[in-house]
Amino acid sequence: MTAVTAHPARRGRMFGGALPYILLSPLVVFIGALSFVPTVDTTVEAFFRVSPLNPPTQFTGLGNFRALFASPAVTTAWVNTAVYVVIGVVLSVVLGTVIALALRQRFRFRGIVLALVILPWALPAVVEAVVWSWIYDPTFGVMNSALHSAHLIGGYHVWLGLDRWLTIGLIEVVQVWQITPLSAIVILAALQSVPLDLYEAARVDGAGPVQAFWRISLPMIRPALAVCTVEALILSLNIFDQVYILNGIAPLGSSVMLQTYLTTFQNLNFGGGYALSLLMTVATAVLSMAALALLYRQPGAE
Amino acid sequence: MAVAVRGSRTSLRVNRVASGPVGRALAGRPIRMLGRVVVMVIILLWSLFPIYWALNVSFSTLSGADSSPAHYFPSPLVSTSYRSVLGIGGAGNGVSGQLGRSLLNSIIESGGAMIVTVVIAIFAAYAFARLQFRFKRVIFGSVLATMLLPAYATLIPLYRIMASLSLVNTYLAVILVYVSGFLPLSIWILYNYFNTIPRELEEAAFVDGATPVGALLRIMIPVAMPGIAAAAIIAFLLGWAQFLFPLILTTDLSTQPVTVIVAALDQQRVVPFTLLMACGAIAAAVPGVLALVLNRYIIQGVTAGSIK
Repeated sequence: MTAVTAHPARRGRMFGGALPYILLSPLVVFIGALSFVPTVDTTVEAFFRVSPLNPPTQFTGLGNFRALFASPAVTTAWVNTAVYVVIGVVLSVVLGTVIALALRQRFRFRGIVLALVILPWALPAVVEAVVWSWIYDPTFGVMNSALHSAHLIGGYHVWLGLDRWLTIGLIEVVQVWQITPLSAIVILAALQSVPLDLYEAARVDGAGPVQAFWRISLPMIRPALAVCTVEALILSLNIFDQVYILNGIAPLGSSVMLQTYLTTFQNLNFGGGYALSLLMTVATAVLSMAALALLYRQPGAE
Repeated sequence: MAVAVRGSRTSLRVNRVASGPVGRALAGRPIRMLGRVVVMVIILLWSLFPIYWALNVSFSTLSGADSSPAHYFPSPLVSTSYRSVLGIGGAGNGVSGQLGRSLLNSIIESGGAMIVTVVIAIFAAYAFARLQFRFKRVIFGSVLATMLLPAYATLIPLYRIMASLSLVNTYLAVILVYVSGFLPLSIWILYNYFNTIPRELEEAAFVDGATPVGALLRIMIPVAMPGIAAAAIIAFLLGWAQFLFPLILTTDLSTQPVTVIVAALDQQRVVPFTLLMACGAIAAAVPGVLALVLNRYIIQGVTAGSIK
């Protein structure tokens, strides 16, 4: 009996506290070599002239950044990405909340509806963008056909590639369509964790459903809204697949990620790509932290 | 008098029923039901119409899909596009070969990344959830912080690392990059799941002489299977959907996943769009079926820890 109980203690000492580090070593190697080292590399190389076809690599200080800000295509991509982010975050969080509210109460077939609502999130964005490109298509597209049948447009339109803001808006619709299910699920889970007696108390106090939403639901789901906002923020700052398919490489609807890809892998100006990447990494960190600081407040902890 | 009493009693009863929850639900039922059905139809139309449209076109003939106004149901309904892109019936075109090989590549890359991610994540999440050691908070925090790291931070360096190791255009490069990207989320899902398992289960095993590794393998992993399934499915779906990283890490059909091939077929503008939609439907079928069948694991995974 004593031998048996002594066992785990002895084994524990035998591992000498090394066990956690053994279990963590694959993780540390992966994240270290393929996340931390690259991030440091991006930070450093942004200040160097890196061009694989035209060595050597030289320190240029802010040279890469100056060249970026002098490029009209890059400036367009910055402004476009800002618009993508604003539309993407606002629409996906608002629509996600609406869908979550609609699915909050149990009803027959809710499980099936939920499974179907998730579908756009689960499918590859680039394949979805290809499908949408044929929905928007000027000759074969169902959008023209449907709007024309409804007498909302007189003739068939070319939707993409002519007007900058229309192109950006329609591309962002495709991304919002994909990422909204994620927001809806997270917000729905938060809504369902709100104690029902809070609503009962509000009803007794004479609050209607709208007031109950603003005074009870909204404060209680703030952490979930923060999570969704940051998620949508990162996804729309990184928007690439939909732009690549629906806009192509034209500057009109270009995003910073598309510009980074073109600068680095088409023009082989790695230094310029690094500089864009560093600016966007910093922007992502600052905006995510700001969103979390503004929104992430535990209910009751004012 | 008796009538009046009976009358008032009846109205009282009706009032009581009508003001109770059941009564209200009954009174408002047709309108509320109608409202709910309308809302559900709008939500489902928004979620499913583009998917339906792709299927509609893929089962149409080219002239049927080219009609104006558009047909909302294939007329005639044919499977020629699928036969063609799957290479059934000898109608050989380049598409079927590319699609088949790229599907195999996608399965190897997302499947491989899923397995490696989940195995590493189980060990790491167990250490974070159950063991005490120095720098635990720092390591855990840094790993989770990489979830906020955008693709920008690692895109170019990862390409250069793989190029310097001569790994560009190999399955290994793609899998390594996916694993490094998916690990933080998998660990977060499993960490939260492990924390819901009572410690008494393992303590009973320790009394019986089990080591921490034995407890992990024989107690925690079997009990945590739903959480492990959630982490695995989400890693697989994320892998299947990747486009930008394989676009730079793979250069030919020996490793290009189906996302890269579908985009390339779209860019060529030679493949008829009925065939293209069939390719898209096949590329989306694997994650689509997984999501429909295993959606409760996905929901459980993406909401892990978000509501605490």
